[in-house]
Amino acid sequence: MTATQEKATPTPVGETRTINLIQAITEALAEELDRDHRVVLFGEDVGARGGVFMATAGLQARFGRERVFDTPLSEASIVGAAVGMAARGLRPVAEIQFADYMGPGFDQIISQAAKLRYRSGGQFTCPLVIRTPSGGGVKGGHHHSQSPEAYYTHTPGLKVVMPSTPYDAKGLLKAAIRGEDPVIYFEPKRLYRASKGEVPTHDYTVRIGEAAVRREGTDLSLIGYGGVMPDVERAAEALGAEGVSAEVIDLRSLVPWDQDAVVRSVQKTGRAVLVSEAPRIGNFMGEVAYVIQERAFDSLLAPVGQVAGFDTPYPYVQDRVYLPGPNRILAACVRALNH
Amino acid sequence: MIDPHTPDPIQYVGEDGTPVLALPERFTPALLRELHRDMLRAREFDRKLITLLRQGRTTFYAQSSGMEATQVGLARSLRAGHDWVWPYYRDHTLALSMGVPMYELISQCLGTNSDPCRGRQMPHHFASAALKFVSISSSIASQVPPAAGSAMAQKYLGTDEITVCTFGDGATSEGDWHAGMNMAGANQAPCLFVCENNQWAISTGVRQQTASATIHIKAQAYGMPGYYVDGNDIVAVMEVCAHAAERVRRGDGPALVECLTYRVGSHSNADADAEKQYRTREEVGVWLARDPILRLEKLLEHLGEPVSPEERAALIAQTHREVDQDVLRAEATGQPDWRIIFEDVYADLPSHLRDQAAALRAEQEGARA
Repeated sequence: MTATQEKATPTPVGETRTINLIQAITEALAEELDRDHRVVLFGEDVGARGGVFMATAGLQARFGRERVFDTPLSEASIVGAAVGMAARGLRPVAEIQFADYMGPGFDQIISQAAKLRYRSGGQFTCPLVIRTPSGGGVKGGHHHSQSPEAYYTHTPGLKVVMPSTPYDAKGLLKAAIRGEDPVIYFEPKRLYRASKGEVPTHDYTVRIGEAAVRREGTDLSLIGYGGVMPDVERAAEALGAEGVSAEVIDLRSLVPWDQDAVVRSVQKTGRAVLVSEAPRIGNFMGEVAYVIQERAFDSLLAPVGQVAGFDTPYPYVQDRVYLPGPNRILAACVRALNH
Repeated sequence: MIDPHTPDPIQYVGEDGTPVLALPERFTPALLRELHRDMLRAREFDRKLITLLRQGRTTFYAQSSGMEATQVGLARSLRAGHDWVWPYYRDHTLALSMGVPMYELISQCLGTNSDPCRGRQMPHHFASAALKFVSISSSIASQVPPAAGSAMAQKYLGTDEITVCTFGDGATSEGDWHAGMNMAGANQAPCLFVCENNQWAISTGVRQQTASATIHIKAQAYGMPGYYVDGNDIVAVMEVCAHAAERVRRGDGPALVECLTYRVGSHSNADADAEKQYRTREEVGVWLARDPILRLEKLLEHLGEPVSPEERAALIAQTHREVDQDVLRAEATGQPDWRIIFEDVYADLPSHLRDQAAALRAEQEGARA
């Protein structure tokens, strides 16, 4: 077996500069506010404060209180108002301070946002974006660390994305704002400043529904998304040092998700290890595993491995132990390789 | 001047049809007759749709008999096709009065190809983009925060449309109701909230719903006026709703109107028999005597412009004919085929839905072969 070290797609073309993930989000928001007067931005503390993570810093000063504003502390109001605005032709981008707080807005997301187009026979549409920091690794306890994406991937009518690089964060957010469907845009908060990368200076979008092959390989497919990606890449590097060629796929979009990219990879490598930090039961990766066995069964040399969070609430202490770090990922890879 | 926060419902026409307040000039006999026609038409629509239900041609119906003055009066206070409506599921009288064609309502109840909602929703959950009558959700009060957002968008866009949001008394217990009222108040959004207080949420009475003496006084908590009106008095409903709508339209922020009325029928066909277990015949009898159509007829009589039995019978017969024709016309369009399952989920069909649609197509074609 030979390890391949080259980075695969996407490689930004043209002039670029290095920024972090949260800067990429701020840039995307600023550019979309600038591009389209229908774009409005709101949520709790997003105005003068610039959001608790500063994702909207400076935007109210630049675009005014009519377009960037604070709302009452009410997720049902924030999401619901976004539905009403979207139905009226605006392009609302709502921030929910933490994904853990989406509960009070859940009915608005699943009953209103996700279904308005369908139930009205296409007479009304709901092009909104809900941005929300998610995932652990910031010592936040369970109400600042959960990964609730599966609730939303289970709801037809919603698109669900989660970037892990500044390039994707900016391109996916722009695509979400310009799209015609409601998008839940999860931001892996532990990567806000930890993930740095090259981002083009020119306008671009990343198509929702396309995975990125971060690293090409031949022996095993490591598939993840969001906050786990740096650890997935570290595990792939460690495998490479041992002469194992791991292919790394970042799903980027969960609904729709890039089945072809995953199936193609597994058909090439014969082994798959799926990595996410959400609890195991009902984890989105269960769907990925199902599709792999359905479409690439004959290629499989080992059972599909899964590394996930535990089926417990997210703990405050030992939160790094809760997360699937490189060691747990490597152990799953070894099991697959030795099968 | 119409005052908010009055302890008793504002009334113009007493239960015996005698004006208790001077009738505003615009309520000419001609207008009153038009209102009578609209209310009677809605009442007969109810009757005919219940017949369809019994015939098994539709599966659900939530009648609004007894609430005609509230819904017709509200519709007449708005600019139909101009103002936006986020309604609730018992609003077909409101829809008819705002100009939603009876044919479309019937098509939606039958789930035919002529249904603008394409057979996606259970009966009685229609939508009309042409009339800005936004889709109804069964999830109680979930239209309230979007209505606040709709009004906020309105303010941002800067035109003189307003948003109207209707709901029953039960909806005012939901978190979404408080969230939406608060959002509209905090943003001074041009939204008119109308509570059609028919006093029963299925089998839960309004006294089990809230310890508050009335719904309308809750408006104060959200920084908006709350008006209380006799919802069976169409003159009062129109006067109060028009006043509140005008206030909203000129930019003075949102308002709430509580129309005190009564659903004389069951919640839906689902509790047609159970209804007798949760309320007394006496209670229903009291409200039947307060019937809004009857009251308007008494007023017309008082004004020396009675509706003759022949006129009434002709109107009823005409509505029945219209419903019958629309039912046949709608049924003739057939039912949407399997494709409607996959369309309008997203703006474009994603590949996983393409695959699922292809599998179903093969299954359907196999079944036909």
